[in-house]
Amino acid sequence: MGYVDVSAVRHTLSDGRVLLDDVSFRVGEGARAALVGENGAGKTTLLRIIAGDLTPEAGSIARTGGLGVMRQFIGSVRDDTTVQRMLVDLSPPAVREAWDAVEATELALMETDDERSQMAYADALAQWGDAGGYDAEVTWDTVTVAALGVPYERCKYRELSTLSGGEQKRLALEALLRGPDEVLLLDEPDNYLDVPGKRWLEERLLETRKTVLFVSHDRELLARVADRVVTVEGGTAWVHGGGFASYHDARTARHERLAELRRRWDEEHQRLIDLVRTLQQQAANSPDMANRYHAMQTRLAKFEAAGPPPERPPEQKVAMRLRGGRTGVRAVTAEQLELTGLMQPFDLEIFYGDRVGVLGANGAGKSHFLRLLAGQTVAHTGDWRLGARVVPGFFAQTHAHPEWQDRTPVDLLWHGEPGRPGLDRGRAMAALRRYGLAGAGEQPFRTMSGGQQARFQILLLEMSGSTLLLLDEPTDNLDVLSAEALEEALAAFDGTVLAVTHDRWFARSFDRFVVFGADGRVYESAEPVFDETRVQRAR
Amino acid sequence: MAMAVPSTVSDPSVRSAIARLSREFPDLGPDPIVLVVRTCREELRGSPDGALPELVERLARQRLRVSLD
Repeated sequence: MGYVDVSAVRHTLSDGRVLLDDVSFRVGEGARAALVGENGAGKTTLLRIIAGDLTPEAGSIARTGGLGVMRQFIGSVRDDTTVQRMLVDLSPPAVREAWDAVEATELALMETDDERSQMAYADALAQWGDAGGYDAEVTWDTVTVAALGVPYERCKYRELSTLSGGEQKRLALEALLRGPDEVLLLDEPDNYLDVPGKRWLEERLLETRKTVLFVSHDRELLARVADRVVTVEGGTAWVHGGGFASYHDARTARHERLAELRRRWDEEHQRLIDLVRTLQQQAANSPDMANRYHAMQTRLAKFEAAGPPPERPPEQKVAMRLRGGRTGVRAVTAEQLELTGLMQPFDLEIFYGDRVGVLGANGAGKSHFLRLLAGQTVAHTGDWRLGARVVPGFFAQTHAHPEWQDRTPVDLLWHGEPGRPGLDRGRAMAALRRYGLAGAGEQPFRTMSGGQQARFQILLLEMSGSTLLLLDEPTDNLDVLSAEALEEALAAFDGTVLAVTHDRWFARSFDRFVVFGADGRVYESAEPVFDETRVQRAR
Repeated sequence: MAMAVPSTVSDPSVRSAIARLSREFPDLGPDPIVLVVRTCREELRGSPDGALPELVERLARQRLRVSLD
């Protein structure tokens, strides 16, 4: 079994800002540690340092056992990466190198079929065998059957972009959990997974004997799986040795202790300064006091050189003001609506003020339904209409806004768009500050973290004066605090909310549930339904 | 402990290569072909079993072609 030991790690950003300083913790053998912190606090950077992608400016990382890493982007792969390539990339270094050699020699053999390239190819194949490549292929077969329901030979050339986000994640997780690496770093492993997928993940993480360090914002997953919580905040990290249930209390107690230590330090500092001043005056009148004055000066200098204890980390303040407005009583009406090829026709009435959770199987058409209501082109039959004064505002799941990529939040707010008036710079900055985005106001949208992009989208919804919020997995990239702020904002929103979500914690704040079943049936439920199986389609 | 080297005579990768190459190079006669194929088989000893027939046949064909040039 393996462990990870992080010792006094320091990392500075390219702009000179210290992101992490004196970060030390240990994830012992067989531990399941959650890494939490606000968006942008440095969780992913810390994982990259542990994974060896980044070299820390100071400090060291010690670990035993092979290291398997699942990056955050898995689930949103849209390039031409194949299933085979991803499985190779998730393998131990020896297998990866042997695979690259086989590929290179195969290409060389296609170009020049001479004795030398044939021997090189034979040699590469032998090394592939020695590195455990054939065993790996057997494992990959088990992995693809478990994750996709098809053997490796049938899907190895398939592009990841043809798989759903959940399928991509599950494929990677199966590969890592069944692979030989004993330490796993998982960056948001639950993103894109539906609830059965998340429950599966929880069970697998609970039963694995591997050492796991994972980043997650899913409060349910954190509560069930983590046996300790590493928090990145205030430029450093600290460890809560218990589970998530006692985490909030531990964090509050720590913040109070830090504040108390700081207060005592400030008091002592002031007392020493006052003493130095008094002795300075006395020394001017009495040479006997000069020695005491110098001694006190030295003591103050030493005290200041030792420095104050760390400050209490600033609380992230996110204040969302989703206003909305009174609309017609019937906000959404659907009659015999069917999104072509996705479901059976259904009727639905949603009233002003309803909070509707849209739940159900992956691939059952939930996101398409929201896009249709948002006014986008989605093939369908049957009728649907929005009520009087209903203005839809849409929050997209994958933040697919290519036109925003190179623009800054301030620029986007300043220009406005149809249905959303522009804001002058001062008001734009004030709005960004309320969303904890003041620091990101001038950076291109594409360089913002997933959580920052999500918060910015909610800000745009606020500005657009929407009275019907259509939210597709809004909490997926939000840290715990931002998710709680969004829940509060939605509770105060004067209008109607439809949200597709797999966040069990978030779903509890809704009062009606529309479930898209795996069998194509759309039905209503008073309680959240999370066990619809995924839709089976021909592969 | 001595490693057991499989007999190359009964090796299917050798037999199939000899059969095919004998048809391809009828002028050479069986002896040189058998010798070249068995040498190739020995040299490729570390290769994975599944890949051996193809590797042996390709290498032997290459060497026979060069010997005729």
